[in-house]
Amino acid sequence: MPSATESTVPGKTTSSSLLRAGAERCNRRLHYYTGLFLLFFMWLFALSGLILNHPTWNFAESWKNRREVDEEREMAAPGPGVKGDLAQAREIMRQLGITGEILWTTTRANPDLFEFQVRRPGHFYFIKADFARKRVTLRKDDVNLWGVIKVLHTFDGVQMDDDRNTRDWGLTSLWVFSMDVVAVGLIVMVLSSLYMTYERRPKRLWGSFALGLGLLCCGLFCAGLRWIF
Amino acid sequence: MRARFYPLVRDLHLYLGLFISPFVLVFAVSVFFMAHKWLPKFGPETSTTRVAQALPVPAEWAGLSGRPLIEALKATLKAANVPGEVGFIRHMVAEKRMIIPVTIPGRETLVSLNLDTREATITTRERGLADALVTLHKSPGQHGPDIRMNWFYMRAWRWLADATVYLVLFISLSGVYLWYVLRSERTVGVILLLAGASSFFGLAYALSH
Repeated sequence: MPSATESTVPGKTTSSSLLRAGAERCNRRLHYYTGLFLLFFMWLFALSGLILNHPTWNFAESWKNRREVDEEREMAAPGPGVKGDLAQAREIMRQLGITGEILWTTTRANPDLFEFQVRRPGHFYFIKADFARKRVTLRKDDVNLWGVIKVLHTFDGVQMDDDRNTRDWGLTSLWVFSMDVVAVGLIVMVLSSLYMTYERRPKRLWGSFALGLGLLCCGLFCAGLRWIF
Repeated sequence: MRARFYPLVRDLHLYLGLFISPFVLVFAVSVFFMAHKWLPKFGPETSTTRVAQALPVPAEWAGLSGRPLIEALKATLKAANVPGEVGFIRHMVAEKRMIIPVTIPGRETLVSLNLDTREATITTRERGLADALVTLHKSPGQHGPDIRMNWFYMRAWRWLADATVYLVLFISLSGVYLWYVLRSERTVGVILLLAGASSFFGLAYALSH
């Protein structure tokens, strides 16, 4: 059975046509091997994107169904060698046995009071440390699988308009790297599909029509609306 | 049966894939902008300010909030010639002023409306293509479902964003089928599929446990 991209036009067996056939075969393999490797990542980002775009879908509700645990513990105040908010937060997290991405939400007014959040997919930690009393209060919120899926979509450790929050957990960097790989993989798949369509002459006309329609619709939103209004 | 099914799936995979490919590129390229806080500027970012006077202000504005307020302010924004998606409105009661953010992908407009004088200062910032892609990637998003998608074009974008997801799911499933039919490619394909699955589930497990 012919493949989706198999050439239907017999060509001369010259070196250039052999080269072309080789490039076509490599391109075809690149297309479906990339797709197969990234399949689960694509499904996650597609499904989670859909859920994030429909926050009123009750079946995927996670925050209202969260499990909340509050506790207060003793802690050892970070020593003088532990300088800076990040180092102090890490020291408190070590004492609490927590790992994750630190999120700064408040400005520190009192040096003895230290408030920050730690996040990882499925878990939200709200930490308030009092160095003078040597006590730390911890609120831990656990969300369901839908919550994990939603957080994975957006878990990059940075915020567009906030320079204070930067990636500070190795696994966040690894996850962002995987996001980059998925994005590059999708771009490669799109480009390889364009090459495949070009190589299949009988499909060019309708292929160009489908692509043109997509470009027109998408272009309207990317640049056209600004031009019209 | 299979002789008809295969070419049908193959053609649908090809044509639907080509149709959504620009949308896939929008979502893929904007990932770099958001995950790395990097917004390349392809042209100068411009900002203009103008004043609009004698604007119609809804009589019942004091008792309104959320979506009804946005709907009531549409005539005001139309008279001020500010089209777009209205965001979270800030109502400064003491100053009798409303700050109305209005967005078109790649353009941000801030309307500062004086409810007493019915005069508005309108500041428009052209932020460019990269910002437009980020706005589209995030729309409609998970926040403010009651007020979001109040402009026809952004509602249309939501339909297209949803359609992109459904088509990506169809294209990935049909792609798996088209690959599976090719016996000679199965071994390498299965290895890559398993490698991808173990990378994905391994990472997801490590992040969430």
